[in-house]
Amino acid sequence: MTVIESASSLSDRDNIALNVVWNRLISVCEEQANVLMRVGFGTIVREAGDLSAGVFNADGRMLAQAVTGTPGHVNTMAESVGAMLAHVPPDTLQPGDALVTNDPWLGAGHVFDFVVVTPVFLDGTIVGYLASTSHIVDVGGIGWSAVGRSIFEEGVVIPVSRLRRSGELNEDILSIITTNSRIPKEARGDILSLLSCNDTGAARLIDLMEEFEFRSLERVSEFIFQRSRTGAAAAIAGVANGTYTNTLTLDGYDSPIILCAKLEIGDFAIHVDLSGSSPEASRGINCPLNYTRAYASFGIRALLAGHIPNNAASLESITVSAPPGLIVSAERPAPVTARHVVGQALPDLVLGCLAKALPANVLAESSGALWTMSLTGTGPRPFSSLNVALGGMGARPNKDGLSTTAFPSGVGSVPVEIAEAAAPVIYHSKEFAPDSGGAGQFRGGLGQRIEIGAVEDEPLALSAAAFERLKVGPAGREGGSAGGKGRVEMTDGTVVQDKGNYEIPPGERLILTTPGGGGFGNPNERDPDALARDVSQGLVTREQAKSEYGYSETQQEE
Amino acid sequence: MIRLSVDIGGTFTDVVLEGKGNRATHKVLSTPDHPEVGAMQGITELVASQGLNLRDVQSLIHGTTLATNALIERKGARVGFVTTAGFRDVLEMRNEKRFDQYNLDIELPKPLVPRELRIPLRERTLADGSVLQSPDPEEIDHVAQVLKANAVEAVAIGLMHSYVNAAHEQQVGDRLRRLLDPQLTICLSSDVSPEAREYDRFSTVCANAYVRPLMSRYLGQFRNALKAEGFAGSFLMMLSGGGVTTLEQAMKTPIRVVESGPAGGVALAAHVAGAVGSSRTLALDLGGTTAKICFLEDSTPQTTRKFEVARAWRDIKGSGLPVRVPTIELVEIGAGGGSIARVDTLSRLSVGPESAGASPGPCAYGRGGSDVTLTDSHIALGNIVAEGFAGGSIALDTEKANEAIEAQIAQPMNMRSVHAAAAGVIEMADEIMANAARVHGLELGKDISEFDLIVSGGGGALHATRIAEKLSIDRIFVPENAGVGSAVGFLHAPVSFELAKSVMRPLSKLDPDALATNIRTTRDDVLTVIGAVSPDLDIDITAHAELRYVGQGQDLRLEFDPDATIASEIARLETRFHEAYRNLYGFIMPEMDVELFSFSLSGSAHLPMATNPVNAVDDTVDRSHTERQVYDLIRDGVVSFDTIERASWVPGKPLSGPAIVTEAQTTTIIREGWCGTKLDCGHLLLERVAP
Repeated sequence: MTVIESASSLSDRDNIALNVVWNRLISVCEEQANVLMRVGFGTIVREAGDLSAGVFNADGRMLAQAVTGTPGHVNTMAESVGAMLAHVPPDTLQPGDALVTNDPWLGAGHVFDFVVVTPVFLDGTIVGYLASTSHIVDVGGIGWSAVGRSIFEEGVVIPVSRLRRSGELNEDILSIITTNSRIPKEARGDILSLLSCNDTGAARLIDLMEEFEFRSLERVSEFIFQRSRTGAAAAIAGVANGTYTNTLTLDGYDSPIILCAKLEIGDFAIHVDLSGSSPEASRGINCPLNYTRAYASFGIRALLAGHIPNNAASLESITVSAPPGLIVSAERPAPVTARHVVGQALPDLVLGCLAKALPANVLAESSGALWTMSLTGTGPRPFSSLNVALGGMGARPNKDGLSTTAFPSGVGSVPVEIAEAAAPVIYHSKEFAPDSGGAGQFRGGLGQRIEIGAVEDEPLALSAAAFERLKVGPAGREGGSAGGKGRVEMTDGTVVQDKGNYEIPPGERLILTTPGGGGFGNPNERDPDALARDVSQGLVTREQAKSEYGYSETQQEE
Repeated sequence: MIRLSVDIGGTFTDVVLEGKGNRATHKVLSTPDHPEVGAMQGITELVASQGLNLRDVQSLIHGTTLATNALIERKGARVGFVTTAGFRDVLEMRNEKRFDQYNLDIELPKPLVPRELRIPLRERTLADGSVLQSPDPEEIDHVAQVLKANAVEAVAIGLMHSYVNAAHEQQVGDRLRRLLDPQLTICLSSDVSPEAREYDRFSTVCANAYVRPLMSRYLGQFRNALKAEGFAGSFLMMLSGGGVTTLEQAMKTPIRVVESGPAGGVALAAHVAGAVGSSRTLALDLGGTTAKICFLEDSTPQTTRKFEVARAWRDIKGSGLPVRVPTIELVEIGAGGGSIARVDTLSRLSVGPESAGASPGPCAYGRGGSDVTLTDSHIALGNIVAEGFAGGSIALDTEKANEAIEAQIAQPMNMRSVHAAAAGVIEMADEIMANAARVHGLELGKDISEFDLIVSGGGGALHATRIAEKLSIDRIFVPENAGVGSAVGFLHAPVSFELAKSVMRPLSKLDPDALATNIRTTRDDVLTVIGAVSPDLDIDITAHAELRYVGQGQDLRLEFDPDATIASEIARLETRFHEAYRNLYGFIMPEMDVELFSFSLSGSAHLPMATNPVNAVDDTVDRSHTERQVYDLIRDGVVSFDTIERASWVPGKPLSGPAIVTEAQTTTIIREGWCGTKLDCGHLLLERVAP
């Protein structure tokens, strides 16, 4: 048990009170996030929680964050507030002001994510900030697609601006966004939701400060940061010092991308150096460094320090660097729409380094990037349908991987009945893909096969921006096999080869098979009952059971 | 009018009898293998003790955890699930979401129906109710063969979009009924939960089929046992939604009774709220493993149709099986008497959700428990005294509690005093409960400070005044008979039934005639179910519309008048939706279409019952006051509490805090700044004294 030295200066009463306040701050954020989920318009926000909310102190340092939310938002937002305040000095802010931006390099890595920051005043002084982020379905440009050659094609970018000034909405900014969006009403609603949830959080923060008679958040900041720093250091101290490297290959837009990581584990801190990774791509799968940091550090945190709450101090224990101009550190004006293709592969990359420091403790590779399924009807009644197709999670060191469940993203899928009611598409099937889980003592999670078409006899436009792992399946660990690679094809025989735009001809269907997770451990060591169950349930075919696991019929009869 | 209620829990079976102006209660041990055996013992003993006979009892109301336990322990039927080809894995894919981002080790619940018993059938209805492909009768015959060959004990049928057009499910159900054993349970998703979202609906129908054979068998046996003893009255079942219904209805959709115990607890709160004139009430039940809260207005509890049973991973939200049937809207908080307090590697104090339960229990019970629990903290502090605890059935070891708190809380937090550490654990638990109430209140758009607090469970009255302070609540009621609260609640629950239907159309595109017909038939179905209890009930119908801006994921629930012209109600709902939205979120979007996602109709009728029994002051108990010294965290010092036994407290006589009121099942703490009175009906009223 780690004892915090300076805690002895606290009275028992204050010690408890600060614990209570910390707990309450996390709840303030949780509530902010809940408001966003309830009022958000994008199916991805509301069904899947593609959002984030947090409380910051007067210095713009994050104190607490909602546990709801996807890592790409969670960790980028911690930096956003400071970055935005560098553009708008705090001493120019008035009560009732709020700032907004969707600048990928200040916010969450692409133009779809808007960050709203609201200062909180107590007796005329800024005591803290509330910030929230969510995904807005359309902000103009080429829309959800990776074919852009620069950020200028990808949608309207709002520099750090006042969304509200002394309580008065800045309709000029809102109308720039709505004028540029294909779904202006929803875009406006989503941005107002961000304001609304921050206001809810701000009111709660003021209540809390009054209840505990706080004039500032300084003391509680110090308390939270000190304990988090110590906790994170203790978690890292459990891993042997050293330098560990790993490499991972992705399909890329139309040619392979190499991701390289060198993990330097010190006494109390970890540094990730991504030098040597591929240079920026000419199409929209580049990742700004802020988004790279978010996912690279998430992978480490989830394995080593999942219990430590997110705040400025706990996040500081893991640093990430890359020379500018790589695919993981793309610079303006590189196109970045599908930056998650690279970003969501980073946890597997850094976990691969950690697997060398902690053999037998690290899950196998997962299917990685969310497969965003963006279908657009171009017939007489245009529509767009957005959902995700999820692959399998890597097998864990002591249990099978979760099937059709995203990792590292926490986003879930939209129910078929809801998706079909929202747009004239038909899901003809959505079932586990047998044999897609990597073989191992513990089997990788299964991917799935989805067959989808239009209701009417009309063509559908498809963006293949996020269909990754079509060439190489997620690797297994400790003797486990790779998970099945993905496949995207159409009933007319077209096979998707790159991340461009495609058309599904009238009457034809799209067939997606998502990747499975890698296996963990030698397949021959798999519990015979578990294998027999997989075979009888049709999750593993007899052929694969024989070829990969050495399964025999007699074994089953015993 | 003599009425009985029976609440069968995992450990105890509570029986309550009311009639002729008095109330009698009895607690016996449950007999889990044959629950009716313990229940019959309790019933016959209680009835006999009152000099009565089962023939004299007009009605019996029953609630049980049997269905819940079958789901948790996976002891239900072998179910075959017939579903649309291409969707057999919906039950296992769930919503494809990790419920905990930062834990790589999580486990999901196993589906109630394994893959080999999920049988695909080629058919398809589309979102608008039109048919893409009709089922082939020969293929249904083949499905019947597969079900037979697999010796299933129940069949669930869940087809895509059946909430909008149930024809295929009905056709399949009818044909299977002819082909299979006529006694075999067959459940349709369009009957059990006609709502959109395939995973939730399939999960609900499978859970219903899973518990139905067991529940029908058990309820049938119980009914026969009662008949054999001469019972000829009406046998009613408590529903999760807070009302009661006929035995036949409960046997058909037993999934609607899973939360009957907690619903009974809320029914008691509703009854007490009515008796004391509380129009806005927050009910808090603090039991051994969790605390539960529910908002009530005009004695009517908030209800929902989103509920989760049998959580598979550390009691975390999202790790259970979704069930979409009407349920009292309870927010469950992992902070009960047995909840474990810990200091983590960040020197952070947390309480729950892990619990030491009843076994091994708190350290002070001396049954092998070694983790500090909330109860241990109360014992160390002196809020609970060892003498006479739980009627003397458990000997408390205060020293053990002190030692554990010193080692596990005070030292790692670098605190000077064990008492302060114990008080800190209690303060943290109070904070967690108050916070949950605050958050839930905000979600519902309610100003908690305008509510009264009604507490129950073993710990409710220990925490009430502090939680009320945190929520700016000014009045607290501590009901009588809180220890058998659910069973008492059953006796005061109305007869009720609710049905919901998904619509999913913008208001501007609704077909008013079709909607009016849909509402009318739903209403008739509700009236039929309630009318089955008794033909001369005065049934009150309430209707709710669930509305949202087109594209949003969650709705606001607004009441409407099912008797008014539908067109005028639609216009009124639209206006009210914008108002309610502004009230909750501070802005509106008049340019957006408003969508009617679903509507629900709920019928309710009060059963005739005797006047409220009054428990008189017990003259035999000691009336003397004593002093108890207890550490107070806010004062950071010891405070002297005036201590009195509840039974000896004379109604009307005020008692100012700091004071402690003791009784067999709980202890009431009246903090400084509060004043208590015992009401004539026996409930305690605690009021905040103007500061």
